[in-house]
Amino acid sequence: MVQFRMHYLLLSSCIILLPGCSPVYKKMQETNGNISELQKFKPAFATALYKTSVDVAGNHLSGLLLIKHLPDSTTRIVFSNEMGFTFFDFEFSPGGDFKVYSIIKQMNKKPVISTLRHDFELILMKNIEKGPLSMRTQNGLNYYVIPQAKGYHYYITDSSRNNLIRAERASKTKTVAEAVMQNYINGIPDTIRISHHTFNFVIGLKRIER
Amino acid sequence: MRRMYLLFGLLIACYASMAQYAGYAPITDLPKFKVEFSTATQKIVSIKSDFVQEKNLSMLSEKIVSKGKFWFKRESRVRMEYSHPFTYLMILNKDKVFIKDGQKENKVSTKSNKMFQQINRIMIDCMQGTALNNRDFSTRIFENKNAGLVELTPLTKELKELLKSIVIIVDKKDFSVISIDMLEVSGDNTLLKFSNKEMNGTISDALFTIK
Repeated sequence: MVQFRMHYLLLSSCIILLPGCSPVYKKMQETNGNISELQKFKPAFATALYKTSVDVAGNHLSGLLLIKHLPDSTTRIVFSNEMGFTFFDFEFSPGGDFKVYSIIKQMNKKPVISTLRHDFELILMKNIEKGPLSMRTQNGLNYYVIPQAKGYHYYITDSSRNNLIRAERASKTKTVAEAVMQNYINGIPDTIRISHHTFNFVIGLKRIER
Repeated sequence: MRRMYLLFGLLIACYASMAQYAGYAPITDLPKFKVEFSTATQKIVSIKSDFVQEKNLSMLSEKIVSKGKFWFKRESRVRMEYSHPFTYLMILNKDKVFIKDGQKENKVSTKSNKMFQQINRIMIDCMQGTALNNRDFSTRIFENKNAGLVELTPLTKELKELLKSIVIIVDKKDFSVISIDMLEVSGDNTLLKFSNKEMNGTISDALFTIK
C-alpha cells in the first residue's frame, strides 16, 4: 500500500511537473485562467470544405478536405484528390474515440494515421472541455495546457486572451507540431496551417466557398 | 417443377440486371454494339467540352461540385482545367502527368504512381473507345434508345481497392462520352458529366505540352 502511494505520488508529481520540465516550456510561469476562454476559438465546423496542400519530405500532394459535424456530435474528415478519389475518411468522437472509415493502401500505416489523427485533434479542439491541467504565461503569451494520452496540447493566446496565436502539440520534451488558425468567419477559420517541428511535414488548408 | 424454378430464377436474374440501371436494358446485339462503338470512336480525333464533376459522399449526404474545361486529343492526351470552386490543372500526356495546383507545379510519371496510372488509363480508354478492350475490367453493356451504358468492374486487386465499378454512358449518335461515374468501394462516387462538346475541332498540341 505504501509502495502504491509512493508510485502514485511520483506519477502525480511527474504529470504536474512535466510541462515545466520541458526545455521549450520551462520558463513559463503559472497564472490563472478559465477553460471557457478557449471556447470562442473552437472551430464551429458545421460543414467546411478546404483546398488542401500537403508537403511531406519534398513531395507535394493536393486535394480537398471536407470537415463535417454530424448530429451525433461526431466529426468526419474526408480527404480526396481534386478528381474525387478518396485518400482517407476519419471520424472523431467527442469522447476522444477515433475511427478510420477508409484509407488508401499507401497511407494505411500506423504512424501516418496516428500523426494525422493527432494533428486534426489539435485543430478540432474536441478535448478542451476536459479542462486545462494548468494555465501558464511566457513572453506575454498565455498557454492553456490540455493533457493528452501522450504529451500535451497548448493553446496559446495573446495577453488580452482574445486572439489565438497558435496551438501546439508537444511531447513530454519538445514541440511536435503547431497549428495556426486564422480569419474566423462565422466561427470557422478561413486558413489553417499545421507544421511539424520534428520532420518536414506541412498541411495547408484554405477554405472554399461553395 | 425444376423447370419452373429455373425459369423463375432466370426471370429474377433478368429483372435484377434490368433493374440495375433505370431506363436501360441489357444490350440485345453485343457484337453489333462493339463494332459500332469501335468504328465510331476511331473517328474521334479530338474533343473539347465543359465538364461538371460531382463527388457524392453517401454517408455524409454531401455533394462536392466542381466545374471546368476538358480537352482530349488522340493519341492519349487529356487536359482538365478546374475553374470552380477552385483552380487546378491536370495534363495527361501518354505516360506523363502534369499538375498545377495554385503556384505549385508537379510532374509525375504514371509508371511510378499507381493512382495516376489508373486515372490516366480510365480517362484515355473512355475517350479513345478502348475501354471495352481493357483486360483489367469485366464489362456489361446496357442500352436505351439514345445511349449506351458500359459498366466496367475491376478484376485486378489494385483496382478493386480503388473502385467498385465505372459506369460510362455514351451517346449512340457518335459514341462520344456523356458521363463517367466512378463508384468507390465505400459507396461514394464521382460523376463526371460532359456538355457543350465540340468533336474533332482543331486543338493545339501546346495545350498538352509538359515541360
